[in-house]
Amino acid sequence: MIVAGIDVGSLTSKAVILKDKKLHSSALRLTGTDVTAAAETVFREALDKGSLKPECVERIISTGYGRINIPFADKSVTEITCNAIGVHFLYPNARLVIDIGGQDCKAIKMDDQGKVITFAMNDKCAAGTGKFLEIAAQTLDMNLRELGSIGLEAKNKVLISSTCTVFAQTEIVSLIAQRVQKGDIAVALHTSIASRIYGLICSTNPDFDEQVVLTGGVAYNNAIVKTLEKKLECEITVPENPQIVTALGAAVKAISNLSK
Amino acid sequence: MENSLLKFRKYFNQRYDIAREWKKQSNSKVIGCLPMYFPEEIIHAAGVLPVTLFGSEEEITIGNKHLMVNTCGMVRSTFDSLLKDKYEFVDGIVALLVCDQVRFFFEVWNLDHPLPFFHQISRPYKMDETVKPFLISEIKRFKKALEEFIGINISQETLLKSIDIYNETRALMRELYDIRKEKPGYISAEDCMKIITVSMFMPKERYNLLLKNLLSEAHSEESAHNKKLKIIISGHPCDIPPKNLLTMIEELDVAIVDDDLFNGGRYFAADVNVDGEPLIALADHLLNPIPCTTYHYPENWEGSGEPASNYGDYIVNMAKNSDATGVILLRETYCDPYDLEFIMMKHSLEDADLPYLSVFTEHETRSIEPLRTRIHAFIESLDN
Repeated sequence: MIVAGIDVGSLTSKAVILKDKKLHSSALRLTGTDVTAAAETVFREALDKGSLKPECVERIISTGYGRINIPFADKSVTEITCNAIGVHFLYPNARLVIDIGGQDCKAIKMDDQGKVITFAMNDKCAAGTGKFLEIAAQTLDMNLRELGSIGLEAKNKVLISSTCTVFAQTEIVSLIAQRVQKGDIAVALHTSIASRIYGLICSTNPDFDEQVVLTGGVAYNNAIVKTLEKKLECEITVPENPQIVTALGAAVKAISNLSK
Repeated sequence: MENSLLKFRKYFNQRYDIAREWKKQSNSKVIGCLPMYFPEEIIHAAGVLPVTLFGSEEEITIGNKHLMVNTCGMVRSTFDSLLKDKYEFVDGIVALLVCDQVRFFFEVWNLDHPLPFFHQISRPYKMDETVKPFLISEIKRFKKALEEFIGINISQETLLKSIDIYNETRALMRELYDIRKEKPGYISAEDCMKIITVSMFMPKERYNLLLKNLLSEAHSEESAHNKKLKIIISGHPCDIPPKNLLTMIEELDVAIVDDDLFNGGRYFAADVNVDGEPLIALADHLLNPIPCTTYHYPENWEGSGEPASNYGDYIVNMAKNSDATGVILLRETYCDPYDLEFIMMKHSLEDADLPYLSVFTEHETRSIEPLRTRIHAFIESLDN
């Protein structure tokens, strides 16, 4: 049985193929402006990587903000539902998902079947998202990986007070002018994101004694993981490939959709 | 029924042009009413047309100069429309003081854009029997002021007749909502909201005939629709919900089978029950309506000292009575009464295990796209 999940996000598109309920292949690329083309291309890439032809795929579920513009998908399901399903597939004991993507962040509380109990999203602005870090990294003249690697220990504590990405950028510029170390600024940035997300997470009333999983591209940033763990006072599990978890969930959903 | 629906949609879009046309033809006056709960029957009995004012979908420009930006969108937008002379057909504006925003800003309106007739009916936040004499005196005060403005005496007989007509409107609207529950998805939520709202721009006699026609068509048709999931919606007080929001909610296999929107269930929830004096009946109507976030019930606190939310319980019962599996709370940014009530309301909903989703809309936000993911994720979570 071969099924696929396609997650068209605001920044990147991902495709996951499951063969006999096991992860077979996956692909990721930038979405760009043509959502349908991005979905087609990333699907093809996943197929090629898995040496499969499109006709073998029995069911396709689309998800992500571009999910309704994928005509070759059989059904579209929100990324919230799919994210929870994907995390449950990988970690059946997980009860809270924190997803930090390119342009949004969410917290999803789920039950022992991977079903969504409640969720909270911030998609009104870039605060607490990958975009915030991207702009900050640019302002500090480094790439995201470098930013993540130096954002752990501060020699001198500074504060980025603005939650607005644009105003935070201005603060960074003024801190640089005051000759504050980039490492200290990076710590402040990561603390800012963690604070921003903390309220969001708590609004879902989670149980931090249960397993917490972090997904989305920002999960690659180790400083974010460590800062969040400190803030939430719990361990956070990061999947090997945190960006494809929602697409994986969509593929898992395709299995149950197939049997209907 | 499609032709009738098309008619209602057309009238909804025409909105105040209907009132303008009426004014030209009748050579009478139009009184603009701010939402909510204004005793329109008295205006109707004076031979004058009550029209509810809802602002517009336009960007608020002048309104923001006169009122603070964190004023509720309906108040700011309606004031903005007034200042832009979009209500040139209105001879006076009246309001029941449902909340602080209406209470304090209404006088600013009178200052910045005087009209020949501006009247406020004071209504306390605390609602119990001790308030009744005050409400009766307020209703009498309004009747007198209106009579002086129009130059007419409103007889008891005329008032009773107007109350009858309005009660007929309510009964017909209830019939519409019964159809919603019996045939989920047959008439869309967006259409139902438009059907109710159209009544606020034309004389109720004319409206009753239109709605009767639609209902007889609906009863005689076989319904092919029977949506899988049933939910209710609550909130969005005092303003027409954003365009296509209700359509977005019903995009998946779900039907909204009941609501308590002002442009919906709230408008016709309770009849005016006349047992003698019509003015006392109208005061009673203000006193004993369905729960609202703009009221406060002291008896909840007295004795037990426990916080409780009549409104929350009302929503829970509405869901039970319509067999709904969840409720979407449509909230407007800057609506203090709803925000404050929500804290206690949540407990009622959670205690009753009624799944809910709270979404905010803001007058300034044109696009409702960001809500799609939230709404659909919530509906997916209800679908077992």
